[in-house]
Amino acid sequence: MSRWRPYLLGILGLAAITFPFLWLVLQPDFQNNTVTVAWSPGHGLQFFDDLLPVFVVSFLVWVGIRAGRYWGWSDRLAKSHSWQSTTKTLGGVWAWIVMPLVLCGPFVLSASSTGLLTNVGIYMLLALGLNITVGMTGLLVLGYAGFFAFGAYLFALGQQNFPFFPWWLAALLAFPLGGLVGYLLGLPCLRLRGDYLAIVTLGFAEAFRETIRNLDAAGGDQGIIIKSYAMFRGIAGLHGGQVCYVFTALILFIAVFLVQRVYHSPVGRAWIAIRENEIAAASVGVPVVQMKLLAFSLSAAIAAVAGVLSGAKDGFVSPAMCEFQQSIMVLAMVILGGLGNSYGALLGAGLLYLVPEYLKLLPTTIRDNALLNAVVPVSLRNSLEHLSDYRLLLFGAVMVLMMLYRPQGLIGSSRRKTEMLNT
Amino acid sequence: MSSTLTEILIGGISRGAMYALVALGYTMVYGVLGMINFAHGEIFMIGMFSCVYAIGIFSVAWGNQVLLNLTLGIAVAMIFSAAYGYANERIAYRRLRKAHVLAPLTSAIGISTFLQYFIFLTVSRDSVNFPRFYSDFLTNNHIHLGPVQVTYLQLMILGLTLVIMAGLFYLIHFTRIGIALRATAQDQLMASLVGIPVNRIIAFTFILGSALAAIAGVMFSMYNNVLVFDAGYRVGLKAFTAAILGGIGNVPGAVLGAMIIGLTEALTTLQFGSEWNDVTTFGMLMLVLLVRPRGILGERVADKV
Repeated sequence: MSRWRPYLLGILGLAAITFPFLWLVLQPDFQNNTVTVAWSPGHGLQFFDDLLPVFVVSFLVWVGIRAGRYWGWSDRLAKSHSWQSTTKTLGGVWAWIVMPLVLCGPFVLSASSTGLLTNVGIYMLLALGLNITVGMTGLLVLGYAGFFAFGAYLFALGQQNFPFFPWWLAALLAFPLGGLVGYLLGLPCLRLRGDYLAIVTLGFAEAFRETIRNLDAAGGDQGIIIKSYAMFRGIAGLHGGQVCYVFTALILFIAVFLVQRVYHSPVGRAWIAIRENEIAAASVGVPVVQMKLLAFSLSAAIAAVAGVLSGAKDGFVSPAMCEFQQSIMVLAMVILGGLGNSYGALLGAGLLYLVPEYLKLLPTTIRDNALLNAVVPVSLRNSLEHLSDYRLLLFGAVMVLMMLYRPQGLIGSSRRKTEMLNT
Repeated sequence: MSSTLTEILIGGISRGAMYALVALGYTMVYGVLGMINFAHGEIFMIGMFSCVYAIGIFSVAWGNQVLLNLTLGIAVAMIFSAAYGYANERIAYRRLRKAHVLAPLTSAIGISTFLQYFIFLTVSRDSVNFPRFYSDFLTNNHIHLGPVQVTYLQLMILGLTLVIMAGLFYLIHFTRIGIALRATAQDQLMASLVGIPVNRIIAFTFILGSALAAIAGVMFSMYNNVLVFDAGYRVGLKAFTAAILGGIGNVPGAVLGAMIIGLTEALTTLQFGSEWNDVTTFGMLMLVLLVRPRGILGERVADKV
């Protein structure tokens, strides 16, 4: 009993402080400009009802984790000889299996799935870039979407003002220019402790968004529509969407290759050293500021390229591209996948982009399928329809829970875990 | 100086005073724990909404008593915000106190997103108006100082902020709990060895900062007449900028920084229009960081190894 007492008190306390927001509704009286509240249990019940699938899934996950720990599944798997040898052999040849498979995608999938996967590719590129600063070097960046929007607007303004400015030229330019912006932005704050970078980049993204929103030359709130010649065009019998997919995939492969090479080079070692202990790194001769600047510029450059790709794919750019939510989404991808692990970032991007998309599609799938339609109860179907509204709420909860229980992310070494918890 | 310019500057100082109350929460937590409490803006937002809820409940209970309901509303807002601040510390930060600096920051961002969308989903997706019946006597009555008009609300904001600053200064420098707080900020282990309940002191810091944020929240919602779920994010960002500008971890610095930001905003609105506020504010932050990286009043702090 005494073991459960703090939990019980905690739950009671939480129920008390969330009580008015959940169980009461505001009724503004516009005549007298006053306000009253009314008791409305349906309001709160609706909230919990919509979250029901989440509670069920998290309970199942919890049971799975407890069971796995009880019988020691993960230990046995990690220790087993066959698993180790499989991962080792796969590690060498995976690229030659995965790359052709991914490139086949647009020729077997429908146009809408191709478009969806192209977006996944763009987010993967972003997560890969952010992972360099956040995961490998240990610097927090909160305005990453600012660089994404910078690349997109570079492309959009370029094709508006110059006679010939196709996407590939923009992408070639966006890489050094994005890096330059990152360098200039990082210069004042990377000399300080890591926390400042977070707020300065956040400020940069906000200021950038306000600037493009207020400037008529940058299209204002509406954004800019990209001329069709500058976008992805069909070549050699492929249509635009397929070309877009193929090029995004190719750029993603190049980026993964590049980042992995840098990560395993002396530069990458220096980044890890800075992440583990900055003072120790400086004292053994790592040029801390230069290395941090390099990491930050590289990730800004990758984001700018992703911005160009996004503009060239959708055919328009808008200030909404550098919303704070966008930055948080990419950060959540990196954290979920595994800080410091490139493949983890890719996995996180895939999961966090595709799961909400499929959740959106799920209600129609159930409705169209006769068997599922009969099996799944109506209330669950309604909750599923509302679930996409709860996306960001769940992101927040997942970020906290990940930090508390699995700080190393889905794919991450145990060394990373000890480092996150006991530095 | 023309009277309109003076009025605009007074408006800027009142905004700055509200930012200062929020910035104090950031700077105190940073001073004690060395971490950025990104969820502090959301505590401010919770304060705004709980005040309106409390006013609603009281007006159902005993009718529209302006002064009574407003005072009790502010008190309830402070209690609620303090409770959220404590819950925040207990759930998301306490276990991560010894962790790498990224861990508490990330969980703070998680809490911040969670609280924003909790209010978004349960209270309102659009902005809610502050019940004008309770703020009209403050916003419509003026005091004339020569040609300059100052509203009661602006006077109240400035007066309250001054009183709170003085109280906080006294608390930190002349009371037992203030001494314990400063000791905890210097060295947690050492403080615990001399019998200071470190966990309680840290919780107290959160509670105090959150209660101040709640006062700022109520003032802000009366001043602008709207409550919206992402107000905390916007104001929090400004207040945090103010804390950095003045030198994070430094209490007078936070107030100075907030005043500078409030005045910058007022002058920007006059010169270019309010839509450029964010641009000038962050431009100034960049400039200050370039010239004086530790902030205007910040002292050089050595990294703890």
